Amino acid sequence: MTKKEIKLLDEINNKFKIDGRIQREHRIWVSINVNKLIEICKWLKEKGFVHLSAISVTDWLEKKEYELTYHLWSYDNKMLVTVKTNINRNTPTVESVSPIWGESAQIHERELHELFGVKFKGNKDLLPLFLENWQGPAPFRKDFDWRDYVREKFYDKKNEREKVYYD
Amino acid sequence: MVKRSEKAKTMRKLIKAIWIFNWFNSCGFAELVPLVGSRWDMERFGMIIVGNPRHADVLFIAGYQTHKSIERAKRIYEQMAEPRVVIALGSCTMTGGMYWDSYNTIKKLDDYLPVTMYIPGCPPRPEAVFEACEKIFEHVKELE
Repeated sequence: MTKKEIKLLDEINNKFKIDGRIQREHRIWVSINVNKLIEICKWLKEKGFVHLSAISVTDWLEKKEYELTYHLWSYDNKMLVTVKTNINRNTPTVESVSPIWGESAQIHERELHELFGVKFKGNKDLLPLFLENWQGPAPFRKDFDWRDYVREKFYDKKNEREKVYYD
Repeated sequence: MVKRSEKAKTMRKLIKAIWIFNWFNSCGFAELVPLVGSRWDMERFGMIIVGNPRHADVLFIAGYQTHKSIERAKRIYEQMAEPRVVIALGSCTMTGGMYWDSYNTIKKLDDYLPVTMYIPGCPPRPEAVFEACEKIFEHVKELE
């Protein structure tokens, strides 16, 4: 481990009173309460983490939670910080980071809104990206049985040729 | 002078070059690339790919169609002048192929567009595509 990871973790600990984890060289994981998400994002942006590589959502069905993951890259430090936060699965609402990272955050949030139904407050454009005229539930949710949905929508059990799809 | 059969005479009258507009999703065009290449060169039959559906006689559709792309395919079809032919290539357009259980792709193309001919295969052989085009020549009178 080099010094820069430990130094950044100490700074985060002093500022936000949370313990991050050094995953490996150049990589840090930080779990944070959703209330402090915008605060830490703004702080990290000022620290030089100007590149938002990705936002992703993990659906934890048993815990009834969505886990949001923000991957931030700093060109100066050559470090990848992963900020994780949990939100309620049934009413997934979170503050948008598009005022901080602009377009790159906007398009990620738009996709996650479409696929997981997460509402990003402050994002100006959350129109469907791939699913036009979609009436079903958010398709990437774990409790969405897409195979049942397809059978219902596209196939007919009475059709002799399409019976195979029901086995 | 070479004596031609009756069939050949009518064929010669009716034949026009087939101009193609391509609407391909995913691996669709990879299936048709050999047709453009030198080995099967489709331009020797006067088949060229045009950039505007208004100039095209035949619409080639290949690959799975999503709900979003089928709306665009319908608009392309509406712009084509009659007589128009839709040829669907590959198993994706017939049954959904490997996307048979995908919520976002359509399964049978003829639910959405009047398909004239299906060419099965994943991908279809270039010879099969030529055979389909030969059938267009044969039946061009019925189309008009």
